[in-house]
Amino acid sequence: MISPLLNVTNLSKSYDNIVGCKNISMSLYPGEVLGIVGESGSGKTTLINCLSGNLEPDRGKIIFNINNKETDFLNISESEKRKFIRTDLAFVHQNPRDGLRLNVSAGGNIGEKLMSVGNRHYGNIRSLATKWMNKVEIDKNRIDDLPITFSGGMLQRLQIAKNLITSPNVIFMDEPTGGLDVSVQARVLDLVRSLVNELNLTVIIVSHDLAVIRLLADKMIVMKNGAVIESGLSDQVLEDPQQEYTQLLVSSVLHV
Amino acid sequence: MRKTNNVIKIKDFKVDKGLPFDQEYNFAYLDENTKKMIRRAIIKALCIPGYQVPFASREMPMPYGWGTGGVQVTASCLTKRDTLKIIDQGADDTTNAVSIRNFFKKTSNIKTTEITEKATLIQTRHRIPETPLKKKQIFVYQVPIPEPLAFLEPKISETIKMHSLSEYGAMHVKLYEDISKNGHIETAYAYPVKTNDRYIMDPSPIPKFDNPKMNNSPAIQLFGAGREQRIYAIPPYTKVKSLDFEDYPFDPFKAEHACDICGSKNTYLDEIIVDDAGNKSFICSDTDFCNKRKNK
Repeated sequence: MISPLLNVTNLSKSYDNIVGCKNISMSLYPGEVLGIVGESGSGKTTLINCLSGNLEPDRGKIIFNINNKETDFLNISESEKRKFIRTDLAFVHQNPRDGLRLNVSAGGNIGEKLMSVGNRHYGNIRSLATKWMNKVEIDKNRIDDLPITFSGGMLQRLQIAKNLITSPNVIFMDEPTGGLDVSVQARVLDLVRSLVNELNLTVIIVSHDLAVIRLLADKMIVMKNGAVIESGLSDQVLEDPQQEYTQLLVSSVLHV
Repeated sequence: MRKTNNVIKIKDFKVDKGLPFDQEYNFAYLDENTKKMIRRAIIKALCIPGYQVPFASREMPMPYGWGTGGVQVTASCLTKRDTLKIIDQGADDTTNAVSIRNFFKKTSNIKTTEITEKATLIQTRHRIPETPLKKKQIFVYQVPIPEPLAFLEPKISETIKMHSLSEYGAMHVKLYEDISKNGHIETAYAYPVKTNDRYIMDPSPIPKFDNPKMNNSPAIQLFGAGREQRIYAIPPYTKVKSLDFEDYPFDPFKAEHACDICGSKNTYLDEIIVDDAGNKSFICSDTDFCNKRKNK
Protein backbone atom coordinates (compact mmCIF):
# COMPACT_ATOMS: atom_id res chain seq x y z
CA MET A 1 0.00 0.00 0.00
CA ILE A 2 1.52 3.27 -1.08
CA SER A 3 0.98 6.15 1.31
CA PRO A 4 0.08 9.57 -0.02
CA LEU A 5 2.88 12.03 -0.73
CA LEU A 6 0.78 14.96 0.34
CA ASN A 7 -2.12 15.10 2.74
CA VAL A 8 -4.16 18.26 3.15
CA THR A 9 -6.84 18.59 5.82
CA ASN A 10 -9.32 21.43 6.26
CA LEU A 11 -7.14 24.07 4.70
CA SER A 12 -8.60 27.57 4.86
CA LYS A 13 -7.30 30.95 3.88
CA SER A 14 -9.17 34.22 3.71
CA TYR A 15 -8.10 37.74 2.91
CA ASP A 16 -9.84 39.83 5.57
CA ASN A 17 -13.48 38.95 4.90
CA ILE A 18 -12.96 37.58 1.44
CA VAL A 19 -12.70 33.82 1.26
CA GLY A 20 -9.65 32.53 -0.59
CA CYS A 21 -10.26 28.86 -0.03
CA LYS A 22 -12.11 27.04 2.72
CA ASN A 23 -11.96 23.58 4.27
CA ILE A 24 -9.99 21.97 1.51
CA SER A 25 -9.03 18.35 2.10
CA MET A 26 -7.22 16.24 -0.43
CA SER A 27 -4.38 13.84 -0.93
CA LEU A 28 -1.84 13.21 -3.63
CA TYR A 29 0.05 10.00 -4.36
CA PRO A 30 3.54 9.68 -5.83
CA GLY A 31 3.59 9.88 -9.62
CA GLU A 32 0.13 11.37 -9.74
CA VAL A 33 -0.89 14.48 -11.67
CA LEU A 34 -3.66 16.44 -9.99
CA GLY A 35 -5.56 19.10 -11.88
CA ILE A 36 -7.29 21.99 -10.14
CA VAL A 37 -9.95 23.75 -12.21
CA GLY A 38 -12.43 26.49 -11.51
CA GLU A 39 -13.37 29.94 -12.68
CA SER A 40 -11.35 33.06 -11.96
CA GLY A 41 -11.48 33.91 -8.26
CA SER A 42 -12.48 30.40 -7.23
CA GLY A 43 -9.39 30.00 -5.04
CA LYS A 44 -7.19 27.82 -7.24
CA THR A 45 -4.17 30.03 -6.96
CA THR A 46 -4.70 30.63 -3.24
CA LEU A 47 -4.73 26.88 -2.71
CA ILE A 48 -1.59 26.19 -4.74
CA ASN A 49 0.18 29.11 -3.09
CA CYS A 50 -0.65 27.72 0.37
CA LEU A 51 0.57 24.27 -0.60
CA SER A 52 3.82 25.53 -2.08
CA GLY A 53 4.67 27.77 0.85
CA ASN A 54 4.09 31.10 -0.87
CA LEU A 55 1.16 31.89 1.41
CA GLU A 56 0.48 31.14 5.05
CA PRO A 57 -2.99 29.55 5.44
CA ASP A 58 -5.23 30.51 8.37
CA ARG A 59 -6.18 26.99 9.39
CA GLY A 60 -5.60 23.40 8.40
CA LYS A 61 -2.83 20.88 7.97
CA ILE A 62 -0.40 20.16 5.19
CA ILE A 63 1.66 17.00 5.62
CA PHE A 64 4.27 15.94 3.08
CA ASN A 65 5.47 12.36 3.28
CA ILE A 66 8.66 12.10 1.27
CA ASN A 67 10.88 9.03 1.47
CA ASN A 68 9.00 7.93 4.60
CA LYS A 69 9.80 11.21 6.29
CA GLU A 70 6.81 13.21 7.41
CA THR A 71 7.03 16.98 7.20
CA ASP A 72 4.37 19.03 8.94
CA PHE A 73 4.66 21.87 6.48
CA LEU A 74 2.93 24.53 8.59
CA ASN A 75 4.74 23.70 11.83
CA ILE A 76 8.38 23.70 10.83
CA SER A 77 10.84 26.52 11.32
CA GLU A 78 11.36 29.11 8.62
CA SER A 79 14.80 27.74 7.75
CA GLU A 80 13.57 24.13 7.52
CA LYS A 81 10.64 25.28 5.44
CA ARG A 82 12.80 27.19 2.99
CA LYS A 83 15.19 24.27 2.73
CA PHE A 84 12.25 21.95 2.06
CA ILE A 85 10.88 24.28 -0.61
CA ARG A 86 14.32 24.54 -2.17
CA THR A 87 15.02 20.83 -2.34
CA ASP A 88 11.65 19.07 -2.51
CA LEU A 89 9.25 21.47 -4.21
CA ALA A 90 9.21 23.38 -7.46
CA PHE A 91 6.92 26.09 -8.71
CA VAL A 92 6.28 26.88 -12.35
CA HIS A 93 4.69 30.31 -12.64
CA GLN A 94 2.11 31.28 -15.20
CA ASN A 95 4.34 34.13 -16.29
CA PRO A 96 7.83 32.71 -16.79
CA ARG A 97 9.24 36.15 -16.05
CA ASP A 98 8.20 35.63 -12.42
CA GLY A 99 10.19 32.43 -12.13
CA LEU A 100 13.32 33.42 -14.01
CA ARG A 101 16.10 35.90 -13.47
CA LEU A 102 15.92 37.95 -16.63
CA ASN A 103 19.36 39.50 -16.18
CA VAL A 104 21.01 36.10 -15.85
CA SER A 105 21.80 33.84 -18.82
CA ALA A 106 19.72 30.74 -19.61
CA GLY A 107 22.48 28.48 -18.28
CA GLY A 108 22.76 30.49 -15.08
CA ASN A 109 19.01 30.25 -14.58
CA ILE A 110 18.96 26.50 -15.04
CA GLY A 111 22.04 26.04 -12.87
CA GLU A 112 20.89 28.24 -10.00
CA LYS A 113 19.07 25.48 -8.14
CA LEU A 114 22.08 23.20 -8.43
CA MET A 115 24.28 25.89 -6.94
CA SER A 116 21.78 26.56 -4.17
CA VAL A 117 21.90 22.91 -3.10
CA GLY A 118 25.67 23.10 -2.93
CA ASN A 119 27.05 22.19 -6.37
CA ARG A 120 30.36 24.02 -6.75
CA HIS A 121 31.75 22.56 -9.95
CA TYR A 122 31.29 24.83 -12.96
CA GLY A 123 31.85 22.07 -15.52
CA ASN A 124 29.25 19.77 -13.98
CA ILE A 125 26.69 22.55 -13.62
CA ARG A 126 27.18 23.54 -17.23
CA SER A 127 26.90 20.05 -18.65
CA LEU A 128 23.74 19.38 -16.64
CA ALA A 129 22.31 22.70 -17.80
CA THR A 130 23.08 21.76 -21.41
CA LYS A 131 21.41 18.39 -20.91
CA TRP A 132 18.27 20.10 -19.64
CA MET A 133 18.28 22.62 -22.46
CA ASN A 134 18.12 19.62 -24.78
CA LYS A 135 15.37 18.02 -22.75
CA VAL A 136 13.14 21.05 -23.01
CA GLU A 137 14.03 21.48 -26.68
CA ILE A 138 15.94 24.74 -26.51
CA ASP A 139 18.97 25.02 -28.79
CA LYS A 140 21.99 24.46 -26.56
CA ASN A 141 23.89 27.22 -28.37
CA ARG A 142 21.62 29.67 -26.59
CA ILE A 143 22.88 28.68 -23.15
CA ASP A 144 24.64 32.01 -22.66
CA ASP A 145 21.83 34.18 -24.00
CA LEU A 146 19.67 36.25 -21.70
CA PRO A 147 16.05 35.15 -21.26
CA ILE A 148 14.82 38.50 -22.57
CA THR A 149 15.93 37.37 -26.03
CA PHE A 150 13.70 34.26 -25.78
CA SER A 151 10.14 33.86 -27.07
CA GLY A 152 7.25 33.23 -24.66
CA GLY A 153 7.20 29.50 -25.28
CA MET A 154 10.96 29.19 -24.89
CA LEU A 155 10.80 31.16 -21.65
CA GLN A 156 8.21 28.77 -20.29
CA ARG A 157 10.29 25.75 -21.28
CA LEU A 158 13.33 27.38 -19.72
CA GLN A 159 11.39 27.88 -16.50
CA ILE A 160 10.38 24.22 -16.53
CA ALA A 161 14.00 23.14 -16.97
CA LYS A 162 15.09 25.44 -14.17
CA ASN A 163 12.55 23.84 -11.84
CA LEU A 164 13.06 20.20 -12.74
CA ILE A 165 16.85 20.04 -12.73
CA THR A 166 17.10 19.06 -9.05
CA SER A 167 14.35 16.41 -9.40
CA PRO A 168 11.91 17.91 -6.90
CA ASN A 169 9.30 15.63 -5.35
CA VAL A 170 6.26 17.78 -5.97
CA ILE A 171 5.92 20.27 -8.82
CA PHE A 172 3.33 23.03 -8.75
CA MET A 173 2.26 24.59 -12.00
CA ASP A 174 0.06 27.65 -12.06
CA GLU A 175 -1.49 27.92 -15.52
CA PRO A 176 1.75 26.95 -17.22
CA THR A 177 0.30 27.54 -20.67
CA GLY A 178 -1.81 30.56 -19.72
CA GLY A 179 -0.15 33.32 -21.67
CA LEU A 180 0.88 31.33 -24.73
CA ASP A 181 -0.70 31.07 -28.16
CA VAL A 182 -2.36 27.78 -29.05
CA SER A 183 0.42 26.16 -31.06
CA VAL A 184 3.03 27.04 -28.46
CA GLN A 185 0.64 25.82 -25.75
CA ALA A 186 0.46 22.46 -27.50
CA ARG A 187 4.23 22.23 -27.63
CA VAL A 188 4.68 23.10 -23.95
CA LEU A 189 1.92 20.67 -22.98
CA ASP A 190 3.52 17.96 -25.05
CA LEU A 191 6.80 18.60 -23.29
CA VAL A 192 5.24 18.56 -19.83
CA ARG A 193 3.41 15.34 -20.66
CA SER A 194 6.51 13.57 -21.86
CA LEU A 195 8.52 14.76 -18.84
CA VAL A 196 5.78 13.58 -16.50
CA ASN A 197 5.86 10.12 -18.10
CA GLU A 198 9.61 9.91 -18.42
CA LEU A 199 10.51 11.11 -14.93
CA ASN A 200 7.40 9.91 -13.10
CA LEU A 201 6.77 13.39 -11.71
CA THR A 202 4.21 14.28 -9.10
CA VAL A 203 2.45 17.42 -10.26
CA ILE A 204 -0.29 19.73 -9.08
CA ILE A 205 -1.46 21.78 -12.01
CA VAL A 206 -3.85 24.70 -11.91
CA SER A 207 -5.71 25.60 -15.05
CA HIS A 208 -9.01 26.93 -16.25
CA ASP A 209 -8.45 25.13 -19.51
CA LEU A 210 -10.17 21.76 -19.31
CA ALA A 211 -8.22 20.47 -22.31
CA VAL A 212 -4.99 20.91 -20.39
CA ILE A 213 -6.41 18.98 -17.46
CA ARG A 214 -7.75 16.20 -19.65
CA LEU A 215 -4.38 15.85 -21.34
CA LEU A 216 -2.22 15.85 -18.23
CA ALA A 217 -4.15 15.12 -15.06
CA ASP A 218 -5.00 11.71 -13.61
CA LYS A 219 -7.24 13.20 -10.95
CA MET A 220 -8.89 16.54 -10.72
CA ILE A 221 -10.76 18.77 -8.32
CA VAL A 222 -13.25 21.45 -9.25
CA MET A 223 -13.36 24.61 -7.16
CA LYS A 224 -16.00 27.27 -6.81
CA ASN A 225 -16.11 30.16 -4.33
CA GLY A 226 -13.13 28.79 -2.46
CA ALA A 227 -14.48 25.30 -1.90
CA VAL A 228 -14.00 21.95 -3.64
CA ILE A 229 -17.33 21.06 -5.20
CA GLU A 230 -16.33 17.97 -7.10
CA SER A 231 -13.34 15.64 -7.30
CA GLY A 232 -12.32 12.33 -8.79
CA LEU A 233 -10.57 10.79 -11.79
CA SER A 234 -10.32 13.37 -14.57
CA ASP A 235 -11.99 11.21 -17.17
CA GLN A 236 -14.83 10.47 -14.80
CA VAL A 237 -15.41 14.07 -13.80
CA LEU A 238 -15.15 15.34 -17.35
CA GLU A 239 -17.36 12.60 -18.86
CA ASP A 240 -19.98 12.56 -16.17
CA PRO A 241 -20.00 15.79 -14.17
CA GLN A 242 -22.33 15.66 -11.18
CA GLN A 243 -22.42 19.26 -10.04
CA GLU A 244 -24.30 21.91 -11.91
CA TYR A 245 -21.26 24.16 -12.07
CA THR A 246 -19.03 21.39 -13.41
CA GLN A 247 -21.65 20.56 -16.04
CA LEU A 248 -21.67 24.19 -17.07
CA LEU A 249 -17.89 24.23 -17.21
CA VAL A 250 -17.68 21.10 -19.33
CA SER A 251 -20.45 22.20 -21.67
CA SER A 252 -18.91 25.62 -22.18
CA VAL A 253 -15.79 24.22 -23.81
CA LEU A 254 -15.70 25.33 -27.42
CA HIS A 255 -15.38 22.64 -30.02
CA VAL A 256 -13.86 23.68 -33.28
CA MET B 1 28.47 82.15 15.17
CA ARG B 2 31.96 80.85 14.52
CA LYS B 3 34.96 82.64 15.96
CA THR B 4 38.22 82.08 14.14
CA ASN B 5 40.61 84.30 16.05
CA ASN B 6 41.55 81.83 18.77
CA VAL B 7 42.72 78.93 16.61
CA ILE B 8 46.39 79.93 16.58
CA LYS B 9 46.66 79.37 20.34
CA ILE B 10 46.61 75.59 20.13
CA LYS B 11 49.91 74.37 21.50
CA ASP B 12 51.00 71.65 19.12
CA PHE B 13 49.36 73.11 16.06
CA LYS B 14 51.46 72.39 13.01
CA VAL B 15 51.07 74.38 9.85
CA ASP B 16 49.92 71.99 7.16
CA LYS B 17 48.78 73.60 3.96
CA GLY B 18 46.93 76.24 5.89
CA LEU B 19 44.32 74.15 7.62
CA PRO B 20 43.88 75.31 11.18
CA PHE B 21 42.39 73.16 13.90
CA ASP B 22 38.90 74.43 14.43
CA GLN B 23 38.01 74.11 18.09
CA GLU B 24 34.39 74.96 17.51
CA TYR B 25 33.80 71.39 16.43
CA ASN B 26 33.51 68.52 18.82
CA PHE B 27 36.59 66.26 18.63
CA ALA B 28 36.47 64.47 15.25
CA TYR B 29 33.34 66.36 14.18
CA LEU B 30 30.63 63.96 15.39
CA ASP B 31 28.92 64.60 18.72
CA GLU B 32 29.59 62.14 21.51
CA ASN B 33 26.15 60.54 21.41
CA THR B 34 26.49 59.76 17.75
CA LYS B 35 29.91 58.26 18.32
CA LYS B 36 28.50 56.12 21.09
CA MET B 37 25.76 54.86 18.78
CA ILE B 38 28.27 54.06 16.07
CA ARG B 39 30.66 52.35 18.52
CA ARG B 40 27.80 50.12 19.63
CA ALA B 41 27.18 49.16 16.02
CA ILE B 42 30.89 48.48 15.59
CA ILE B 43 31.03 46.25 18.65
CA LYS B 44 28.03 44.30 17.43
CA ALA B 45 29.61 44.00 14.00
CA LEU B 46 32.83 42.66 15.52
CA CYS B 47 30.86 40.06 17.47
CA ILE B 48 29.20 38.76 14.30
CA PRO B 49 31.92 38.86 11.62
CA GLY B 50 30.56 39.87 8.22
CA TYR B 51 27.05 40.67 9.47
CA GLN B 52 25.71 44.05 8.35
CA VAL B 53 24.63 46.09 11.35
CA PRO B 54 22.23 48.95 10.57
CA PHE B 55 23.11 52.29 12.11
CA ALA B 56 21.68 55.79 12.03
CA SER B 57 24.10 57.26 9.53
CA ARG B 58 24.50 61.03 9.84
CA GLU B 59 24.74 63.67 7.20
CA MET B 60 28.39 64.47 6.83
CA PRO B 61 29.84 67.67 5.35
CA MET B 62 30.80 65.81 2.18
CA PRO B 63 28.79 64.11 -0.53
CA TYR B 64 27.72 60.47 -0.45
CA GLY B 65 30.24 58.41 -2.32
CA TRP B 66 33.14 60.28 -0.75
CA GLY B 67 33.34 57.90 2.15
CA THR B 68 30.76 59.23 4.57
CA GLY B 69 30.42 55.78 6.12
CA GLY B 70 34.15 55.31 6.55
CA VAL B 71 34.49 58.83 7.93
CA GLN B 72 31.84 58.20 10.56
CA VAL B 73 33.50 54.94 11.62
CA THR B 74 36.90 56.66 11.74
CA ALA B 75 35.50 59.60 13.72
CA SER B 76 34.00 57.21 16.26
CA CYS B 77 37.21 55.21 16.71
CA LEU B 78 39.59 58.16 16.76
CA THR B 79 41.34 59.16 20.01
CA LYS B 80 43.74 62.01 20.61
CA ARG B 81 46.67 59.58 20.68
CA ASP B 82 45.92 58.16 17.23
CA THR B 83 48.02 58.61 14.12
CA LEU B 84 45.83 58.67 11.06
CA LYS B 85 46.58 57.59 7.52
CA ILE B 86 44.07 58.07 4.72
CA ILE B 87 44.42 56.43 1.33
CA ASP B 88 42.39 56.52 -1.83
CA GLN B 89 43.20 53.82 -4.41
CA GLY B 90 46.39 53.22 -2.46
CA ALA B 91 47.57 56.81 -2.75
CA ASP B 92 47.93 59.34 0.06
CA ASP B 93 47.82 62.35 -2.23
CA THR B 94 44.61 62.00 -4.22
CA THR B 95 41.64 64.32 -3.78
CA ASN B 96 39.56 62.02 -1.64
CA ALA B 97 42.42 61.14 0.69
CA VAL B 98 43.65 64.72 1.03
CA SER B 99 40.14 66.02 1.72
CA ILE B 100 39.36 63.48 4.40
CA ARG B 101 42.78 63.90 6.02
CA ASN B 102 42.29 67.68 6.10
CA PHE B 103 38.82 67.16 7.51
CA PHE B 104 40.18 65.23 10.47
CA LYS B 105 43.09 67.62 10.93
CA LYS B 106 40.67 70.47 11.09
CA THR B 107 38.22 68.81 13.45
CA SER B 108 40.50 66.79 15.72
CA ASN B 109 44.07 68.04 15.34
CA ILE B 110 45.49 64.51 15.51
CA LYS B 111 48.77 63.39 13.98
CA THR B 112 48.64 62.10 10.44
CA THR B 113 51.11 60.03 8.51
CA GLU B 114 51.63 58.50 5.12
CA ILE B 115 53.64 55.60 6.51
CA THR B 116 51.53 52.48 6.97
CA GLU B 117 53.53 51.08 9.91
CA LYS B 118 53.27 54.32 11.87
CA ALA B 119 49.51 54.66 11.58
CA THR B 120 47.22 53.38 14.30
CA LEU B 121 44.13 54.03 12.24
CA ILE B 122 43.95 53.80 8.46
CA GLN B 123 40.95 54.74 6.39
CA THR B 124 40.93 53.44 2.86
CA ARG B 125 39.07 53.68 -0.37
CA HIS B 126 39.59 50.69 -2.71
CA ARG B 127 42.93 49.28 -1.46
CA ILE B 128 44.65 47.44 1.35
CA PRO B 129 48.28 48.62 1.77
CA GLU B 130 51.08 46.35 0.55
CA THR B 131 52.78 46.64 3.95
CA PRO B 132 51.09 43.99 6.10
CA LEU B 133 48.74 45.37 8.74
CA LYS B 134 49.72 44.88 12.36
CA LYS B 135 48.18 44.15 15.70
CA LYS B 136 46.46 47.18 17.27
CA GLN B 137 45.87 48.86 13.93
CA ILE B 138 42.32 49.72 12.94
CA PHE B 139 41.60 49.54 9.25
CA VAL B 140 38.47 51.32 8.00
CA TYR B 141 36.98 50.66 4.56
CA GLN B 142 34.68 53.04 2.70
CA VAL B 143 31.80 50.99 1.30
CA PRO B 144 29.41 52.10 -1.45
CA ILE B 145 27.12 49.02 -1.59
CA PRO B 146 27.39 46.75 1.44
CA GLU B 147 24.96 44.09 0.22
CA PRO B 148 26.74 41.37 -1.78
CA LEU B 149 23.40 39.84 -2.78
CA ALA B 150 22.01 43.09 -4.23
CA PHE B 151 22.85 41.93 -7.75
CA LEU B 152 20.60 38.88 -7.37
CA GLU B 153 17.87 40.07 -5.06
CA PRO B 154 16.76 43.69 -5.07
CA LYS B 155 14.53 43.35 -1.96
CA ILE B 156 16.42 44.10 1.23
CA SER B 157 13.86 42.24 3.34
CA GLU B 158 14.64 39.17 1.25
CA THR B 159 18.44 39.52 1.37
CA ILE B 160 18.26 39.82 5.17
CA LYS B 161 16.40 36.52 5.19
CA MET B 162 18.90 34.95 2.83
CA HIS B 163 21.73 35.98 5.13
CA SER B 164 20.00 34.77 8.26
CA LEU B 165 19.28 31.37 6.71
CA SER B 166 22.65 31.14 4.90
CA GLU B 167 20.89 30.82 1.56
CA TYR B 168 23.94 31.64 -0.46
CA GLY B 169 23.73 29.29 -3.44
CA ALA B 170 22.49 32.03 -5.70
CA MET B 171 25.70 33.96 -5.00
CA HIS B 172 27.53 31.54 -7.26
CA VAL B 173 25.18 32.46 -10.11
CA LYS B 174 27.10 35.70 -10.40
CA LEU B 175 30.41 33.85 -10.67
CA TYR B 176 28.83 31.36 -13.10
CA GLU B 177 27.78 34.24 -15.31
CA ASP B 178 31.32 35.59 -15.27
CA ILE B 179 32.84 32.31 -16.39
CA SER B 180 30.22 31.71 -19.07
CA LYS B 181 30.74 35.19 -20.50
CA ASN B 182 34.51 35.48 -20.19
CA GLY B 183 35.94 32.04 -19.62
CA HIS B 184 37.16 33.00 -16.17
CA ILE B 185 35.85 34.84 -13.13
CA GLU B 186 35.94 38.39 -14.41
CA THR B 187 34.92 40.08 -11.15
CA ALA B 188 38.08 42.04 -10.41
CA TYR B 189 36.98 44.14 -7.47
CA ALA B 190 34.35 43.86 -4.72
CA TYR B 191 34.94 40.12 -4.99
CA PRO B 192 32.58 38.41 -2.52
CA VAL B 193 34.03 36.58 0.47
CA LYS B 194 32.74 34.30 3.18
CA THR B 195 33.67 35.54 6.63
CA ASN B 196 34.27 33.13 9.49
CA ASP B 197 32.53 30.36 7.49
CA ARG B 198 29.22 32.12 7.94
CA TYR B 199 28.32 35.45 6.35
CA ILE B 200 28.92 36.35 2.76
CA MET B 201 30.34 39.84 2.64
CA ASP B 202 31.20 42.49 0.11
CA PRO B 203 34.79 43.53 0.84
CA SER B 204 34.10 46.99 -0.69
CA PRO B 205 35.58 47.72 -4.11
CA ILE B 206 39.12 46.62 -3.31
CA PRO B 207 40.82 44.68 -6.12
CA LYS B 208 40.55 40.93 -5.66
CA PHE B 209 44.35 41.01 -5.44
CA ASP B 210 43.84 42.36 -1.91
CA ASN B 211 41.31 39.73 -0.81
CA PRO B 212 43.88 37.31 0.66
CA LYS B 213 45.19 40.14 2.89
CA MET B 214 41.89 40.19 4.77
CA ASN B 215 42.28 36.57 5.81
CA ASN B 216 43.62 36.08 9.31
CA SER B 217 44.75 39.70 9.53
CA PRO B 218 46.01 40.84 12.96
CA ALA B 219 44.33 44.25 12.48
CA ILE B 220 40.72 45.15 13.20
CA GLN B 221 38.90 45.67 9.90
CA LEU B 222 35.81 47.88 9.93
CA PHE B 223 33.50 48.66 7.01
CA GLY B 224 31.26 51.74 6.90
CA ALA B 225 28.53 52.41 4.33
CA GLY B 226 27.09 55.88 4.94
CA ARG B 227 24.34 56.08 2.35
CA GLU B 228 23.21 52.50 2.94
CA GLN B 229 23.54 52.92 6.72
CA ARG B 230 25.40 49.71 7.43
CA ILE B 231 28.51 48.81 9.42
CA TYR B 232 30.23 45.45 9.31
CA ALA B 233 33.54 44.14 10.52
CA ILE B 234 36.19 41.45 10.50
CA PRO B 235 37.76 40.93 13.93
CA PRO B 236 41.50 40.13 14.07
CA TYR B 237 42.59 36.62 13.05
CA THR B 238 39.34 35.73 11.28
CA LYS B 239 39.05 33.39 8.33
CA VAL B 240 38.04 35.22 5.15
CA LYS B 241 37.61 33.08 2.07
CA SER B 242 36.93 34.29 -1.48
CA LEU B 243 34.12 32.43 -3.25
CA ASP B 244 35.00 30.25 -6.21
CA PHE B 245 34.25 27.03 -8.10
CA GLU B 246 36.18 23.80 -7.63
CA ASP B 247 37.28 23.87 -11.25
CA TYR B 248 37.76 27.66 -11.33
CA PRO B 249 39.64 28.47 -8.12
CA PHE B 250 40.04 32.01 -6.84
CA ASP B 251 42.84 33.90 -8.60
CA PRO B 252 44.15 37.17 -7.10
CA PHE B 253 44.97 38.74 -10.43
CA LYS B 254 47.45 41.57 -11.00
CA ALA B 255 49.02 43.10 -14.10
CA GLU B 256 52.02 41.06 -15.29
CA HIS B 257 54.57 43.81 -14.93
CA ALA B 258 57.01 45.23 -12.45
CA CYS B 259 56.54 48.74 -11.09
CA ASP B 260 58.27 51.26 -13.34
CA ILE B 261 59.27 53.38 -10.35
CA CYS B 262 60.39 50.93 -7.67
CA GLY B 263 60.64 47.68 -9.62
CA SER B 264 58.37 45.72 -7.32
CA LYS B 265 57.00 42.59 -8.96
CA ASN B 266 54.43 41.50 -6.43
CA THR B 267 52.41 44.63 -5.76
CA TYR B 268 49.19 45.86 -7.27
CA LEU B 269 49.86 48.19 -10.19
CA ASP B 270 48.08 51.11 -11.82
CA GLU B 271 48.21 51.24 -15.59
CA ILE B 272 48.89 54.76 -16.82
CA ILE B 273 48.85 56.04 -20.39
CA VAL B 274 51.89 58.30 -20.64
CA ASP B 275 51.71 59.85 -24.10
CA ASP B 276 49.50 60.38 -27.13
CA ALA B 277 50.95 57.27 -28.79
CA GLY B 278 49.25 55.12 -26.15
CA ASN B 279 52.44 54.03 -24.39
CA LYS B 280 51.80 52.66 -20.94
CA SER B 281 53.53 52.76 -17.65
CA PHE B 282 52.79 50.52 -14.67
CA ILE B 283 53.33 51.89 -11.21
CA CYS B 284 52.47 50.76 -7.68
CA SER B 285 49.09 52.00 -6.55
CA ASP B 286 50.38 52.04 -2.96
CA THR B 287 52.39 55.29 -3.01
CA ASP B 288 53.82 54.83 0.48
CA PHE B 289 55.18 51.37 -0.30
CA CYS B 290 56.57 52.54 -3.62
CA ASN B 291 58.32 55.58 -2.13
CA LYS B 292 59.90 53.50 0.60
CA ARG B 293 61.26 50.97 -1.90
CA LYS B 294 62.51 53.68 -4.21
CA ASN B 295 64.38 55.47 -1.42
CA LYS B 296 66.05 52.33 -0.13
